[in-house]
Amino acid sequence: MMRRVAAGGIWLLVAALGGGACRRPAQPGDPLPGLSAAERQRFDRGRAIFDSVFTPATGLGPLFNADACAECHEDPVSGGTGDEVERHATAFHPEAAGRPCDELVALGGPVFQKRVTPALQAALAIDSEPVPPQATAIAARTTPDIFGFGLLDAVPDSEILAYADPDDRDSDGISGRPNRFFDGRLGRFGRKALVPALREFNDGAFAAEQGITTPAVPQEETVGGRPIPAGVDPAPDPELSAAATDLLDSFVRLLAAPSPARLSGQARQGRAAFATAGCDRCHVPALHTGDSPIPALHHREVDAYTDLLLHDMGPELADICLGQATPSEFRTEPLMGVRRMARFLHDGRATTLEQAIELHAGEAARSRDRFRALPAEQRAALVAFLKTL
Amino acid sequence: MTRSLLVSLFIIAAPVAAATAQQPGPAHKVEGAVRTVNVRGRALEVTTGVGMALRVVRLQVPAPLSLTGLRPGDLVRVTYGARPGGYVAYTIERVERTP
Repeated sequence: MMRRVAAGGIWLLVAALGGGACRRPAQPGDPLPGLSAAERQRFDRGRAIFDSVFTPATGLGPLFNADACAECHEDPVSGGTGDEVERHATAFHPEAAGRPCDELVALGGPVFQKRVTPALQAALAIDSEPVPPQATAIAARTTPDIFGFGLLDAVPDSEILAYADPDDRDSDGISGRPNRFFDGRLGRFGRKALVPALREFNDGAFAAEQGITTPAVPQEETVGGRPIPAGVDPAPDPELSAAATDLLDSFVRLLAAPSPARLSGQARQGRAAFATAGCDRCHVPALHTGDSPIPALHHREVDAYTDLLLHDMGPELADICLGQATPSEFRTEPLMGVRRMARFLHDGRATTLEQAIELHAGEAARSRDRFRALPAEQRAALVAFLKTL
Repeated sequence: MTRSLLVSLFIIAAPVAAATAQQPGPAHKVEGAVRTVNVRGRALEVTTGVGMALRVVRLQVPAPLSLTGLRPGDLVRVTYGARPGGYVAYTIERVERTP
């Protein structure tokens, strides 16, 4: 009897530890921890939509980049990265009064789809949406993973703005500033931080990436600014229901952020070097969510390694403008999950983390130079640290 | 007394009337950045969108709505409706002046 009670006590202790302190680290594609049964069900149903392959009969196109969300966001699981590279184009006129950036919206921009349905190909004899001659830059855009994006969405504007220093008042050479959407709201999603909210990012992706109309975007994209020819888009609009887009949004919103790996001694040294070099001035290690109706997103810390602000990265990396972002300004790329990436920077031009650091310039030049000045073993340690994120 | 009250009411009401056109149908709303202003042609283009799916809303602007003072980049809030010839603005409010 005594032995049985003791065994029961040990079991309870193990169960308590297992349910809390020893929680298994999130794997790619996992839902956020602590979801209710209803939230978990929405997550699973949303993943089915994320994985759905669309055809012209079910709404795909006529212009598109992919036939499923998971065609691009596929590695190592749905929501991850991919090897597809998109084409964006805009025109930058710094001398123009008012807005110097023309997103070429009236000419089909800024996303110029690389694929067309057979019906559109037959009607217009094109294989992709043509980039107009008015474009001053064409940009390649790789596929980021979207793990933890629900947490980024839940970070209050005030926390992001607290890191902004547009006039570099502290004279550290870093002057992060927010991008703003066309209606004035703070942007945070996308390589140029144009998009204010995850829901809009998702709804917009259906239209811009798959050519699928939804209640939020009920009209098809144009072909270089001209309407889609009659008869090439057989599915009635909206091609996807509000219920389906709600579920898709739940899946993306509730994807867990990547869990950092355990730090080795070398990685611990690298973390210190990351701070010494000043990388953490823009790649802010932790952001904090605010109020959220979803408990798993409510007042959480996320190891995002970004400030979600724009920084001038120098002329070598410059490509398109977008909103208030100039060609050389990019949002600080979140480093969460960077250890699973095979290519780095917005266009994937770097194949190693060292190359990516070397290509930092502009506001990041000082940190890059500090990295260069580190002894070899400390540079290696810094990279080892990045490979834990 | 009554006359001064009427004058006061007119002063309050006049700017509202100047910024409101007749609304024959249900109104849509758009908040975005002015792309182009054509004062003589009484036309306005507003850039807006959802995520990366961006759109230009092209509007005819009937009298007595005023386009004077608007310039590209200004943030505006517009209500409008569909007519056979395209979209027609009902109200235009400048929310923020471009820097």
